[in-house]
Amino acid sequence: MTDALLDVRDLSIHFRSGAREVQVTRKVSFTIAPGEVVGLVGESGCGKTVTGLALMGLLPRGRSRVTGNIFLGGEDFAAMSPRQMRRVRGRRISMIFQEPMSALDPVFTIGEQISETLRAHRDVSVGEARARAIEALTQVGIPEPELRYDAYPHQLSGGMRQRAMIAIALVCEPQLLIADEPTTALDVTVQAQIVEVLGGLCARLGMAMLFITHDLGLVAETCSRLVTMYAGEVVEEGHIDDVLVRPRHPYSSGLLRSLPALAQRKATLPAIPGRVPTVAEMPAGCRFRPRCAHARSVCEDPQSLVDSGNGHVRCCRQEELVLPGALRGEVAA
Amino acid sequence: MRTATAVPIITAHEVGIHFPVAGGRTLRAVDGVSLEVHRGETFGVIGESGSGKTTLGRALVCLERPAAGRVLHDGDDPYRLSAAALRRHRRDFQVVFQDPNAALDPRMTILRSVREPLDVAGELPRAERTRLALEMIERVGLNPEFADRYPHELSGGQKQRVCIARVLTLRPALIVCDEAVAALDVSIQADILNLLADLQREFGLTYVFITHNLGVVAHISDRIAVMYLGKIVELAATELIEARPLHPYTRALLSAEPVALPSHMRSHQRIVLHGELPSPVSPPSGCRFRTRCPMAVTRCMQDVPAWREVEPEHFCACHFAEDVGDAIVPQRPGGTP
Ligand SMILES: Nc1ncnc2c1ncn2[C@@H]1O[C@H](COP(=O)(O)OP(=O)(O)OP(=O)(O)O)[C@@H](O)[C@H]1O
Ligand SMILES: Nc1ncnc2c1ncn2[C@@H]1O[C@H](COP(=O)(O)OP(=O)(O)OP(=O)(O)O)[C@@H](O)[C@H]1O
Ligand code: SF4
Ligand code: SF4
Ligand SMILES: [Mg+2]
Ligand SMILES: [Mg+2]
Repeated sequence: MTDALLDVRDLSIHFRSGAREVQVTRKVSFTIAPGEVVGLVGESGCGKTVTGLALMGLLPRGRSRVTGNIFLGGEDFAAMSPRQMRRVRGRRISMIFQEPMSALDPVFTIGEQISETLRAHRDVSVGEARARAIEALTQVGIPEPELRYDAYPHQLSGGMRQRAMIAIALVCEPQLLIADEPTTALDVTVQAQIVEVLGGLCARLGMAMLFITHDLGLVAETCSRLVTMYAGEVVEEGHIDDVLVRPRHPYSSGLLRSLPALAQRKATLPAIPGRVPTVAEMPAGCRFRPRCAHARSVCEDPQSLVDSGNGHVRCCRQEELVLPGALRGEVAA
Repeated sequence: MRTATAVPIITAHEVGIHFPVAGGRTLRAVDGVSLEVHRGETFGVIGESGSGKTTLGRALVCLERPAAGRVLHDGDDPYRLSAAALRRHRRDFQVVFQDPNAALDPRMTILRSVREPLDVAGELPRAERTRLALEMIERVGLNPEFADRYPHELSGGQKQRVCIARVLTLRPALIVCDEAVAALDVSIQADILNLLADLQREFGLTYVFITHNLGVVAHISDRIAVMYLGKIVELAATELIEARPLHPYTRALLSAEPVALPSHMRSHQRIVLHGELPSPVSPPSGCRFRTRCPMAVTRCMQDVPAWREVEPEHFCACHFAEDVGDAIVPQRPGGTP
C-alpha cells in the first residue's frame, strides 16, 4: 500500500514486570488513508489504548518493548528517537486520551494548556495563541469559552474535560488523530456536534483518524472501515457496512449481538460466554476458541489473518459460517 | 411492586447545589430538583453534558451538601446523624465514579483496593475479607491474576470493573452508577448489566443509573429522568419516555442516538440541534432549552415552563408538551417492542 498515510506493520507490544515479559499485542497491522476514519473496536483490555500510545511513542520506555513498523507519510516512527518523537507529537500526530482527568494538568487552566500546546509547535504570539485557544473551545462546544479559558480541570464536568482534551489535540491540526473513546462522557446531541467537527477536519485538511470506541452505533455513523481486535490480535478488518450486516468472525458477531438496544428490555443480555484468556492461559490455536460456539478441531491450529475478498479475517471457518450481525433475526442478504 | 405508602429510599426536595466561579458569580449546577427513588427500582438519569447529573448523584448520597432544599434517606435527614453514625450510614449509599482513577489509589494493588471498604468496616476476619474481594473480582469478569497488579497496569475498562467490584463488596442498599459501564465493550457491558440485575433480584438493591448511553439506560431503568442545565425537564416510566417523549430535548436525544446499522438502513429523521449551548452561570430567561429548541416561540423567552403531570405519571416542563407528545416519534430500530 503506497497511498496510505499510516501503515502499521506487525506491531507487537510487550510489558516488563520484574524479570517477566508479557506480550499484550501480537503483530497488529492496518493502514489508514489520508482523510479516512477507521474504527478500532475490541474487548476491554485487548490492546487498543496501548496501540494508540505506541503510535504516539508514549509507552513507558523502561518497562515496555515495541517491535514492528509504524510508517506515517513514509517515515518510520517506530525507529525514531524520543527527541524526534517529541517534535512530531502534537503536530503531525496527536491523541485524545481515554481518561481526560489523567491527561490534563490539574495546576494549569484548560486555556493555558491549549495555548501552550500551540506555542510549543507553532510560532505564534501569546495573544494569538489565546485567541486560537478560545476559538478551539468554541469549536468543541464549550459554552462561554472566554470564561472557561480560566477554569481548572476539576471545575469542569466530565464531558467538558473531554471536550477540552479534544481542543488540545486539534489545535495544531495534526495529520493523524488517535481518538480514544473521545465521546463517552458526552450526550448524543453534543456527541453529534463533536463528530461533525472531527469529520469536518478529516474532509477539509485530509486529517486521518483512528477512532477507538466501544460504541458500535458511533462506529457505524463515523467510520468507513472497522478493525476488530481480540486478545491482542486483529481478528477482522473490513468495510463497516459489510461487517455490520455480515460479520465474518464469531467474535465480531458476538459483539453485535450483545448490544442492549437490540435486546428486549430487562431481559438477560446475550453476552459472549467465558472470559478473555490471560497470557498464561492463551490457547495455542485460535485465541477465541475457548469461547467460540463454532470451534472444531481445525481451530486448534494457529490462525492467520486471511484476505476474505473485501477485508481480512482470522478464522479458518469464515467461508462456511453464516453469522448474525446487527440485523437480529433477519437474514443478511 | 411498590405500595403507595412505602417511604422512598431517597427523596430530593427542591435541591440546589451552587459553586462559586470567577468574577464572584454563582454556578447553579443543580437548581431546584425534586425526585423520589423507590427501594428496589432502577432510576435512570440522562441529560446534557454538564447538566448536573454527577453533582446530583453526589448530593443524593451525601457527598455534596445542598445549598438549598433537602435530601432524605428513608424519610430521614442523614445530616442529622452524628458524624460516626453518618459514616456508617454512608456505607449503604455508594457511588461508582465516572472517572475510575478518582476512586483507585495508584499505590494500592487491585486486591487491596477492592478489599479496602471491608478493611475500613473491620467487621470480618482478614481471610474472609480477602476471599470476598477475590470473589467479587471474578464476578466482574476479571481474572484473579489481576489481584496483585496496580491500577496503571490496567486498561480503562479493567479499572472500571475494579471500581464496581469495590463498591459491590459492601452490599450497599443503593448504588449511584455514574457512567459505570461507559468504558466497557458491549459484551462485558452486557455481563455487568446482567450481574447488576442479578444482585438487584437477590438483595433488592436500588440503582441510580447515570449514563449517556440510551440503549443502556432504557434497557435497565424502570423510570428515567432527563436533565438539562441543572433541572429535570422530563420524568416518566421508561416505556413512556421511549414511546411518547413530551419534551423537545428528550425527542432530540432519542433521535440522535447512533445506531449500529449500515448507512442505507438508518433513518434520516435525526433532529439536529442548532444554537448556542447555554451556560449554567447565566441560564437563558424563561425556558432554559429555548436557545436550542426547534419549537421555541416568544412565550418561551418570558415564561418559565411549569413542572407538571402532563399525562398520568408522566411529568414534563414545556409549555407545549401536549403538542410534542402528539408529533410522530422517530422510531429507534430494534428498540423496545
Ligand atoms: N503499563 C502496563 N503494564 C502492564 N500491563 C499493562 C500496562 N498497560 C496496559 N497493560 C495491559 O495491556 C492490556 C491492553 O491494555 P489497553 O489499555 O490497551 O486495553 P484497551 O483495549 O484500551 O481496553 P479498554 O477498552 O478497557 O480501554 C491490558 O490487559 C492491560 O492490563
Ligand atoms: N467543583 C466545581 N467547581 C465549579 N464548578 C463545578 C464544580 N463541579 C461541577 N461544576 C460545574 O457544575 C456543572 C455540572 O457538572 P456535573 O459534573 O454535575 O455535570 P454532568 O451532568 O455530570 O456532566 P457530564 O455528563 O459531562 O459528566 C458544570 O457546569 C460544571 O462545570
Ligand atoms: S477459528 Fe474456530 S474457534 Fe476461532 S473463531 Fe473461527 S470458528 Fe471460532
Ligand atoms: S417551553 Fe418552549 S423552548 Fe422550552 S422546550 Fe417547550 S417549546 Fe421549547
Ligand atoms: Mg483503552
Ligand atoms: Mg458527570
